[in-house]
Amino acid sequence: MIELVRDTYRYRELIWALALKELKIRYKRSVLGFMWALLNPALLMVVLTLVFSTVMRFAIPHYAIFLLSVLLPWTFFSQSLSYAVESIVSNGDLIKKIRVPKLVFPMAAVVSNIINLLLSLIPLALLVPLLRHPFYWTWVYLPVPLLALAIFTLGMTFFFAAANVYYRDVSHILQILLSAWFYLTPIIYPLDLIPARYQWIFKLNPMIYVINGFRLAVYYGMLPKAPSIVASFVCAFLSLFLGFAIFRKYQDNFVFYV
Amino acid sequence: MSSSAFAIRLENVTQRFRVIQERPDTVRELFSKFFRHQSSYHDFEAVKNASFEVPQGQMLGLIGRNGSGKSTILKIVSGVYRPTSGTVQVQGSLAPLIELGAGFHHELTGRENILLNGLLMGYSKREMLERQQGIIDFAEIGDFIDSPVKQYSSGMYMRLAFSVATEVDPQILVIDEILAVGDTGFQDKCFERIRKFRQAGKTILMVTHNMLNVAQHCDRAILVDKGSIMADGLPDDVIEVYKSLLALEAVAAH
Repeated sequence: MIELVRDTYRYRELIWALALKELKIRYKRSVLGFMWALLNPALLMVVLTLVFSTVMRFAIPHYAIFLLSVLLPWTFFSQSLSYAVESIVSNGDLIKKIRVPKLVFPMAAVVSNIINLLLSLIPLALLVPLLRHPFYWTWVYLPVPLLALAIFTLGMTFFFAAANVYYRDVSHILQILLSAWFYLTPIIYPLDLIPARYQWIFKLNPMIYVINGFRLAVYYGMLPKAPSIVASFVCAFLSLFLGFAIFRKYQDNFVFYV
Repeated sequence: MSSSAFAIRLENVTQRFRVIQERPDTVRELFSKFFRHQSSYHDFEAVKNASFEVPQGQMLGLIGRNGSGKSTILKIVSGVYRPTSGTVQVQGSLAPLIELGAGFHHELTGRENILLNGLLMGYSKREMLERQQGIIDFAEIGDFIDSPVKQYSSGMYMRLAFSVATEVDPQILVIDEILAVGDTGFQDKCFERIRKFRQAGKTILMVTHNMLNVAQHCDRAILVDKGSIMADGLPDDVIEVYKSLLALEAVAAH
């Protein structure tokens, strides 16, 4: 774990450069370029707002904000994983020719998606007053769940990136897993929707604690309770610890399998 | 020779590869293998118990046939492979030129690639920005430096890659057959730079099939065959051994 912190610091410039490269390439050759990082979530929000305020009406007021407050963090999570799972394999040519620390690749995937997430919060912040939803002071709390989410995601990306080097099925399995996970996490619905006697099953899902803070702060204007915050960081560090341990154990052999 | 004066030292280095005939690329194959209990691989030693030391300031040429293990040795020295057994010691910063432009990304501009490539090789952003102009000048890229490298001619691409790798001023340069590509003008320029490297007392390890280069430029040569070091000494002597090896092979083939 100390090694992870040390290497992250030592290679911070490289990780940053790789993350920017990823973003640059994502928006390259499009007329609006980097603006898409803002436009994408903004347009998504427009669609969601229209759909849920006219076509599908829920009993939840300002459903778009209810949804987006956790959909954006979730998108960060699933995009990071989708990018990172291929990060070692797709940099195989490089790994075979230059001695390069392997951990920078999944990290760069996470960092580039953090930038995307932060940018997508801007249109969300604009949408809140637009829908006449109160703008709560609890927004300032967001860095805390953001940190837990980033750590949790990083751990998962280490695991999936390493596993995909050995079995390329992993990237396909991941997609299925992500979509199942999406519906099992109270993102499009509130947890209260689940009958009380089944709620304990849902509470085994670490994502609940990690994502909970976002909805509470943005939609309800509340802060999560201490046990929930502790649970989110326990899940986050457990993920990082296990994910990095596995990644580290196999990283020297990646070069033979990419 | 004092022990501190070496640049590269390999001791009993063995690199074993697992050659998988039918690699279980998918989980299904993995399961079917698992239940049938068949081993679908054999181990292959690309480098066998190799030991040699390169003193600082020496230019060493590695020669041998294709598949003899030369490039594997370069990759072990560069740290791309961690050897199965044995120890590798490298003293000083090392720039690997295993393949020109290995870290280049086609969509990025020359300037962006200079930075990224430098960072990948372990240099800091500041170091790269300081050397940027020198790199551009040597590569003779001109205004193309701010165009994506996919628009470069292959010559420009190689010049830039060579320039990045050498302008950063490494203490050890590891070169794999890269000078075989490119026109003579570029090759001359590269050799000019390599000569300067040697004058500055830097260590160079190169793999080449061009015996003339070995004879002209190297202080020493090592012949690698089937993963083992067959000869180690003055270039002319080692080239002789290599030639007789090839001749022997030719006779055996008839």
